[in-house]
Amino acid sequence: MDTKGWSEYIFDSSISFTERCLEVYRFQKEKNQLYNLFSGALGYTGATLAGPEAIPLLPIRAFNQGIISVDGVSHQVVFKSSGTSGMNQSSHFIHDIKIYKRAINREFFTHFPDKNYALICYMPGYRDNPNSSLILMAQYLISRDRSGLATFWENSDFNPGKWEEQVNKNGKIPLLFGAAFGLLDIIENGKSPFSGPVEIIETGGMKTFKREITKEQLRKKLSEGFCIPQGSIHSEYGMCELLSQMYAIGDEWFTAPNWVWVTIRDPENPRRICNPGEEGKIGIIDLANVYSCPFILTDDRGVADESGRFKVLGRWNIDDPRGCNFLIDRD
Amino acid sequence: MNSTDQHISNIADAITEWLQPDNFTLREAIDNTVNGGYFGFEDVKHRILTLKSTLKKGDLHTWAQRSGLRLNSLENKKILCLHAGNLPLVGIHDLLAVVMTGGTYIGKLSRKDPYLLPSLINKLELHKLIENAQWAGRLDKLAGGSPADALLFSGSGKSVKNVEDRLSELMLISGSTPKLIRTANFSIAFITDNNPETMQDLTEAVFRYGGSGCRSVAIVVAPFHLNSEKCSFTDYIESFWLNNPQFNKPPKSLEYRYAYNHAMKIPQAWLQDFLIEENLDIPQEKYILHWVKGDFNTLENVVSRFGNGLQSVYSTSGFIGKKAGPYIIEPLSQAQSPPIWWKPDQTDTITWLQNEL
Repeated sequence: MDTKGWSEYIFDSSISFTERCLEVYRFQKEKNQLYNLFSGALGYTGATLAGPEAIPLLPIRAFNQGIISVDGVSHQVVFKSSGTSGMNQSSHFIHDIKIYKRAINREFFTHFPDKNYALICYMPGYRDNPNSSLILMAQYLISRDRSGLATFWENSDFNPGKWEEQVNKNGKIPLLFGAAFGLLDIIENGKSPFSGPVEIIETGGMKTFKREITKEQLRKKLSEGFCIPQGSIHSEYGMCELLSQMYAIGDEWFTAPNWVWVTIRDPENPRRICNPGEEGKIGIIDLANVYSCPFILTDDRGVADESGRFKVLGRWNIDDPRGCNFLIDRD
Repeated sequence: MNSTDQHISNIADAITEWLQPDNFTLREAIDNTVNGGYFGFEDVKHRILTLKSTLKKGDLHTWAQRSGLRLNSLENKKILCLHAGNLPLVGIHDLLAVVMTGGTYIGKLSRKDPYLLPSLINKLELHKLIENAQWAGRLDKLAGGSPADALLFSGSGKSVKNVEDRLSELMLISGSTPKLIRTANFSIAFITDNNPETMQDLTEAVFRYGGSGCRSVAIVVAPFHLNSEKCSFTDYIESFWLNNPQFNKPPKSLEYRYAYNHAMKIPQAWLQDFLIEENLDIPQEKYILHWVKGDFNTLENVVSRFGNGLQSVYSTSGFIGKKAGPYIIEPLSQAQSPPIWWKPDQTDTITWLQNEL
């Protein structure tokens, strides 16, 4: 597989995920020195494997501590995380931005076809980060909209009611897209700025500002604040380290596109895939990351069901690190 | 002898009797602990030997003086102690604080250390130093009476709310019960040389109890890089492990950490049961020693950065008693054998109890 073919190959659902994945694994072993060292140290010295479940997942903090990229490619863009909580920013060096856009096109519009929806992006905190992958995604989605209705909502002059009128005239549904706490800020005074029904995509980021709340609490607040049923509230799961996004439509269960495989890993033994219902760290194979590293162990806590859908439960915190932290055994 | 002296003498006598080699009850508790797989024999033995040398009458007197102990200051006060189980007998400090003040002891024992502390409680009861004591391995077994007058416990910051909720639900505490909550969970060593004594003390401070104590060193600040010290330090560690095999084994995720460090070219020493890495990180994971090359200024920076979960700062003779941030530097050699008057989370338990009640 030459490097020029990847942007087609990884999305080609006529080829099984296993086949595409193992092809990408071979490419990574050959071209990504860092991943080769990592997997080699775990005993994976050859280029062949039984299946995707055997692929070792690189801890996500690698994006925080080094340049994660295959050898010999240039980088068109660098995505950077918001770098909150006193942590260093993660950097994702992107060789081929087309892959990112293709991943957005294929998954976002599957769930939210532009003939039905008009997008309004409310991302105040993110506008300060020129390397935000979310901002680039929003810009791309807005630029693709031929109706001219899709827009950012970024200053006090913007009149959401007037925009909503235009959207309604065009027979579309307003689709409000933003980070969780930005959305909560909109309804802080207890009144939705929209007079009619809207749908919402919240992108998480609940730890970024103010305080951490559960998805359940967030969905309830958004539902009450915007006067919409919880079925109209969707979630996006993405991060600067991934070129693909996953969506939970109307509830908390995320599904992955055909080029992504999400598993829940045992934090004490990341080679082990947790059983359905068992909480662990979210492990992701995102083939769109072919030029950086597609095999990632996140620090997010998650749980999967029998069908492979998964929930994001927050950050994986080590509650019992070293020391006198075992005082209260569970009764 | 005044009555406070007499009280302390009585406690010391009970402890001495408890620690006698022919105390069948303690021997049985040790056997049950070791055979039940709760702790390794070497760890229990070390703990008992340490208590023998740090719980003499004079030590208790010193603690009484330093803390301003008043005889029977907590008479008729119920003190609820939630004991840890990460080290053998780690709850002894709180138990003795209650006994010294004459309070009524209510103890929630750890399921990870179910035999050792009861053998001492029984001895103290025999000597009539504890009356109406209640203790159990389950919180609900302690419920039913009036709420405690004070609560002593240590735990992760994140667990505090759950613990409080559970205790309130069982009416073991009320909204106004004073709580001494200790959350520190690791310690730092600052060394300036690699003399055998220093390196042996460092080895003990890091690897005793598999590094699972809050007084265990998780970060060392040293004037040399790990790579230049790795071989000789490993020799000390192997020698230590020969006599004190590590009882608890690390999870497989430690191998992942090793592989990650290897890929990221982070200097490290992989010891199968432990990992040393030259990389300053929040010491969250067990079985990892973070090595930092630096001087006293580096130490102060590290203390200021990670002060939140920090228990103690240790060093060698030239620095003992000096301050690193708010911490008074303790002897490295005493990391795993502290005097009874040491202050977990910088708070003397007796002083706190007397001030609060």
